Parts: sequence; C-alpha cells; structure tokens
Amino acid sequence: MDRDQPAGETVTIHWEGRPVAARPGQDIASALFAAGIHVLGRSRKFHRPQGLGGIFVAGVKAEIDGMPNRRLDQTLVGAGQTIRMQNTWPNGRFDLMRLAGLIPRRWLRAGFEHPAFLPGGSRRFQLWESFLRVMAGGARPADPSLAGAMLPGERLAIDVAIVGGGPAGRKAAIEAASRGQSVLLISRGKKPGAIAAALGAALPDLPPGVALLAGWEAAGLYRRGTLLLCAPLDGGPAKLIEAQRLVLATGRRSIPPLVSGADLPGVLDLSAAVSLLSQGTDFGRTILIGTGDLQALGKRLSGMGATITATHAAAALRRVSGRHRVERAEFATDSTECDAIIHAGPWRSDPALAFQASADGVFRLGASALPGHIEIAGSAAARDEPIIHGPTLDDHAFVCPCMDVTVGEIRDLVNAGVTHVEELKRLTGCGMGPCQGFPCWDLMAAALAEITGEPAASFGHPSYRPPRGTLSIAQAAGLADLVTPETPP
Amino acid sequence: MRAEIAIIGGGIQGLMLAFCLAERGQENIVVVDAGYWQGGASGRNGTLVRPGFSSPEWTGLFSHSHRLWLGLSRRLGHNVMVSRRGYVVLAESERTAAVCEQVLRTGEQSGVELRRLPGDELRRSVPALSHQRIKSAVMFDAGGTAPHHATMKGLYAACRERGVALRYQTTVTGIERQGDSVSALQLGDERLDADCVVIAAGASSPDVARLAGVELEGRPWRLEACAIEPTRAALGPALAMLDRTVYMHQTARGEIVGGCEVEGDWAGLTLASDLPVVTHYARHLVEMLPSLAGQRILRQWAGHIHATEDFAPLLGPHPDCRGLWITAGWSYGIAGAPGGGDLLAKAIVTGEIDTRMAPFAVDRKRRGKLIREGAIVVSH
Repeated sequence: MDRDQPAGETVTIHWEGRPVAARPGQDIASALFAAGIHVLGRSRKFHRPQGLGGIFVAGVKAEIDGMPNRRLDQTLVGAGQTIRMQNTWPNGRFDLMRLAGLIPRRWLRAGFEHPAFLPGGSRRFQLWESFLRVMAGGARPADPSLAGAMLPGERLAIDVAIVGGGPAGRKAAIEAASRGQSVLLISRGKKPGAIAAALGAALPDLPPGVALLAGWEAAGLYRRGTLLLCAPLDGGPAKLIEAQRLVLATGRRSIPPLVSGADLPGVLDLSAAVSLLSQGTDFGRTILIGTGDLQALGKRLSGMGATITATHAAAALRRVSGRHRVERAEFATDSTECDAIIHAGPWRSDPALAFQASADGVFRLGASALPGHIEIAGSAAARDEPIIHGPTLDDHAFVCPCMDVTVGEIRDLVNAGVTHVEELKRLTGCGMGPCQGFPCWDLMAAALAEITGEPAASFGHPSYRPPRGTLSIAQAAGLADLVTPETPP
Repeated sequence: MRAEIAIIGGGIQGLMLAFCLAERGQENIVVVDAGYWQGGASGRNGTLVRPGFSSPEWTGLFSHSHRLWLGLSRRLGHNVMVSRRGYVVLAESERTAAVCEQVLRTGEQSGVELRRLPGDELRRSVPALSHQRIKSAVMFDAGGTAPHHATMKGLYAACRERGVALRYQTTVTGIERQGDSVSALQLGDERLDADCVVIAAGASSPDVARLAGVELEGRPWRLEACAIEPTRAALGPALAMLDRTVYMHQTARGEIVGGCEVEGDWAGLTLASDLPVVTHYARHLVEMLPSLAGQRILRQWAGHIHATEDFAPLLGPHPDCRGLWITAGWSYGIAGAPGGGDLLAKAIVTGEIDTRMAPFAVDRKRRGKLIREGAIVVSH
C-alpha cells in the first residue's frame, strides 16, 4: 500500500512452485496481481476462476506455508513464502478439477453435497459422499505437525470505541478525545483511511491520546452491543472491548451489477483498485462503471496511473465475459474489450455489526432499533443504493459467487414456492461462504424482488452471524477466561 | 377446519411423526409451526447419529432409531444423506472410561454394532487428535451424521407428497379442551378442530403444554455451536468427548461443526450468539486438535432444546389430558427422530405403547423413574 517503498528492493515468494518477485510491505494478492497472476482460486462447485475483486472474498483464499484459507489480500509478503491455490488437484498448474466445469450446472444445484440422483443408503452414495469429503472444502487441512497454542487475549474498557478509520471515524475520535474521553479506533487497514485519502478525502490527524488498532477486524458484536470482539489480521491475540459508546463508521462498499461475469478476475471494486494503483500496479485497459460522478473519479484514477478507456453508468452493463479474467464488457449500446473493470457504485453498507447489536428473537433473529450507546456515522449511515441488474434478470449471474449460487437457482426455488430468505439460504448455501452474507444477501433480495415483483426490503435477510472467518481457534481460545456466562434475570 | 391429527412443531420430530402416521394410512394430518422451516433446533444441531449409549433404555430406543435412519432415504423416496462415517466416543478420565465400558457392555447385550477402538486405529482415522490424552474410545462403525438440510428437505417433500398439510409461521395461541380431552387448536383467529394433538415443539413444548392446562417437566435450554472454515477431510468419524461435553464432525462441505457446554451458561432464550461457548469450545480444540489452532471460525449460532431432568425425551400420551401426545425433551433429537416417530405413530394408531418407548413416559419424573444415562455430552 506504499509508494514510498524503495522500488528496487524485492523478495521472492513462490506461487504454485513458481518464483515471483514481490516488494516487502505489499499484500500477497497485490504482488501476484502485479506479476500478472490473476486467477488465485477456483469456485467451490463449478470451478470458475476467482481472483482479487475486493467485495467477493473466496478468490483471495489460498494456502500459505501449509496453512489453509489464508487471505492473500490481508497477508503481507514475506521472503520465501510458499503459496498454493486451493480447490485444485493435483495442483494449480495442472488441475484435473477443471473438468468440473463440464458438468451441467443444473446438476449441481442445491449444493453438490446433495445430489438428488444418487439414492441414499446405497453403496454408490457412500462412495460419492467419501469422495466429496476428500474434495469438499477445497483447501488441504493443516498438517498435524503445525500445532498451535492458545493466544491469551485481553478485555478492556473504554469510553468510546470507533470502528473505521476513514473521515467519519476520525472525526468521531477527535470529538470524543476533545471531551477528554478515552478513545479506541479500530481499522481494518494498516493505514486507517488510506483509501479515502487516495480518493481525495481530507483525513484529519488523530490526537495523540487516541489508541489505535490498525490492521484489526471488528469480528462481532455481542450482548446487545456491549461487547465488541476484535481480532488482528496478523493472527495475534484478540481483544474484547467494552465501550460506553460505540461508533460504527464502517463506510460503504461498491456492489457490482447482478450480471453474468461480474465476479471474474479483473473486476475490481473501487477500494481494491485504489489499493493496487497506490502500489504502482498497472492493470491495462480499464472500464470504470458506477453511480454518481464518474468523470471526476475517472480523472482521479487516471492521475493515479489507471488507463481508463471508457466510463459507463453501472446500470448500462449487461454482461462481462472472459475465459480466465475479464476480456470484454457488454453494455446496453456497445461492447468493449478490456483488461479490467472498476466498479464504483451502487454503494451499500455492511449491516452485520449493526444487526448483531440489536438482533434478538426466539424463532428468528430480527434487528430492532440500535441500543442507545451505538451510532452509525459517516457514509455507513447513508441510504443504501439499489442493486443494479439488466432489464431482464440474467439466470447465469451469481448472487453468491463464493458458493456458486446463480440467479437461476433462486428463480427455480421461488417457482417452487420458497421465498423465505432463511430457507433459501439453507437450500442453496447462499451467503454461507467467507463473506457470511454481505453482499450476497443483498444480491439475493434484489433477485427475489425482480422475480416476484415485491420490494427487495420486504424479504429481509438471514441473520448475520459472527465472527465471519476473522477469528482463529487460537484467538478465540485465549478469550475463554474473559467472559463469564450471563445469569438469567 | 378439522384435522384428524394436529401436530404442533414442524421440526424433525413433528415431520417424522407426520410421515410415519401418513405411512400408516392416517389422513388429514396438519403440522403447524411458529417459526420458519428448519428455523428451530432441527436446523441448528450437530447432526450426529449413533445407536448406542450406556443405559439399556437409551440404547433400546436409539438402536431402533439408527436402524430406521439407515433405511430412511428409501422410505421417503428422497436422499437424506446419512453418512456412516463412524462415530467415536472419547474418554480422557477413569470416570468416563468406565462409562465407555458400560456403553460396550450395554451395546453387546443389545446387539448394537460397536467396538473398543484400538489406539493405533484412532491414530489413523484422526491423526490430528492429542492421542496421549485418550484413555478409552468406543467406535460405532455405522454411526455418523445425518445432515439436517437433507433430512428436513426429504421429510418436507415426503410429507407434502402424502398429503400432510405443513403450515409454518403459524402460531398456536390456544389449545381447547372438553373436559379431560383435547378438542381444538386456536391459531389466532382461526380454529382447528382436532381430538388428537401432538406437541413436538422443541424448546417451546412446556409453554405449548400449558396452553392445554397441563405441565411438561423440563425447561428450555440454549446451546451454541460454530463452524470452522472448510478444508478437505481432516476428521474421519464424528467425535464426542465425554469429559469436555464437546461434539464435532466435519460436514460434506468441509466445515468442522461442533460445540460444547459451558457450566452456568443460561443466557436466556435468544438466538443471538454469545461468547462463552465459542471460546471454551476453541480452548478444547486447542488442547485436543492443536493443528486446528490457526483455522478461523466462519460463523457461530445458537439454538434451543427442551432439557428434561434426565435429558431423555418425553415420549407418549400425556397422563393428564386425553388425546394429547408428546414428543419433546429431546437432546439427541436427530439420532432419535426416526425411532421416536415410528413408535409414537404406532402408539397413536394402535394404542399400543412399545416397550422401547415405555421408559420415556411423560410422567416418569413424577413416578421417580428417571433414566440414568452417562454417555451423553449434554449433562453436568
């Protein structure tokens, strides 16, 4: 994330046995992207190519030094790292599992772990199930010799905790500090607010008294929003934070249009694109799509080194195609060859923490008004922009690329009478992958709205379950002594 | 509206019973459920199935149930994906090793397929386990998992195909009686006449029973579980660790799913997640499967069961109200559902209480006939 890095200094990492030069300080996904390696993973069922995209997570999971499911976009380059693509056999370079792409997709609906055409209880089914268990999950388990230990965590009380280091989070931190309150700011980025700053936002300096957890993830909110679980992305000990006041300044993410090919490697959300550009990565002929003032944004991205060849409203996109990565974008009026697409809108905020702050229920978890000590600040509080799709909903588009759930699968279930989002989740696996529901459930609700004619908001969403793949067993174990069970009233 | 048999609760017990009744030729069966399909414990459990326990009572019911599990896909006409990957009960202390011995003795007397698992074989099937801690292990080779998504889907479809009316998101607001006998359900403004009513409402069962003016012993109890990011097969058999109340297995999708109990965790009835279980479970994993330490937890969730004094199900007619039947109090509800459904359907249709069901009578606490079972991972 750094231009200041001396350009000449490189280390060697190994991708699928091939040496790749990388700069210290870069994340692995960016280093591979810069080296022209765009396909970093293969989807669960259909074995489609996946890569660094920003909003969809499955494409950046790989095995690093024998540990499965590491996030390449959140792990910094280290000399001598050995990185392997997951969900391949026998390896990523010669991958027989690509044959899965030849299986008719309809056969693999409802989760390929549930084939209707094999009778249960039969010998054939037991063999199929054993085969699935070898292949499922994609990643090789960690070697038993890689034993880890518990990482003792910490519980701390603070006046004000703020999630998000962008302009709104910083503003809240400065205000609270000026009132003499103790302040803790939690930021996913190592440099809080760097993306916003690169896009021209003014970033006020944090007062010296503000405690900073940079490179940390807010993994979950518990006990009516009174207990915030945070874990560092580098795998160190986790913390439980009890804040008198909690500010959620988590910003918004851009969601690509619900069209076929929108999750191909080379389709980047704005923050992933800005991160790559600020590391000096060139991604070739780039089309910018989105909502809002794209001309000004295009100029800024060009100024950062991007080659923007065309700019379109996101609503005009009909289809993205390419064999292993983006090769062509089709719009309402024309079709253009390109190497990358940056999407900047529609913008939506991740609802998970706010949901967990108030979610309650015996038969179904539902959110209500936020507890009084929690506020949502900045762009996260702005109204969500509607998900975009073409004039007709494309059955080949993916509502959940990580779990390979298509619009067509949702449509078939709706036609069979299923419209409850919790039931759809259980029948398809939508949102049960690494993102745990954002943005997939937004996309699912948009598909439901288009199919049924009912408003998207009327479908609600399944419950956003913590900790979303951000907390390791070792980190969780280190918190056991810090929480006592609540006693009944 | 009239139902020949009204079943309150559309989880695995309610649907299995409806299916068994329909199979026996019963018509006009209506199932009502306050939540959504798979929203209760039947969609939130550990999915483990095994035939043997330490007590003859549990072993009798659950070994019958296990036999039915293995043939259920054919009966339903839908693949419920029962996986006979094996189920291992692990003991780390003299106390629980003695429980394992009892399980072996009871199993042998009851003709259950089980065996003492030699250490070298356990090492081969679960290499990542901290083997030095294990004192004793019992293997159920035909045990394993019955994934709820497949089972509930198969049951739902099979019930529909046989004309059972399934009504989710429908709350029972009252149960009417005429004298000693049940006569109708109130569903808000609607009334459903039925002189045979079954309570299969999981954690809500005591509350539902009170609508009919009768008591069910036990209390709702909240449990939690979590799933670890998927990998290829790391665990062969399903595992139950008696000393730690830990249960776990790896799904066909590659996620390791499990949970444990934490003493004093009575966090009230809510589906919201909390931290004691997930952190203590993680601590158990670090000790017992240390190579999982670096793996990340994908999601955690809560669910509710109806815990009876002895954690055994309440199965049979309610002694204080004619026409009211109970299948509740399940803590091993997935393992026991086919057996419970089969025997209760038989009792409702023929009036005959099977000897395998009789020990689980609804009023056994009142009669001082609680069942002692040590080989379950839900009791302190």
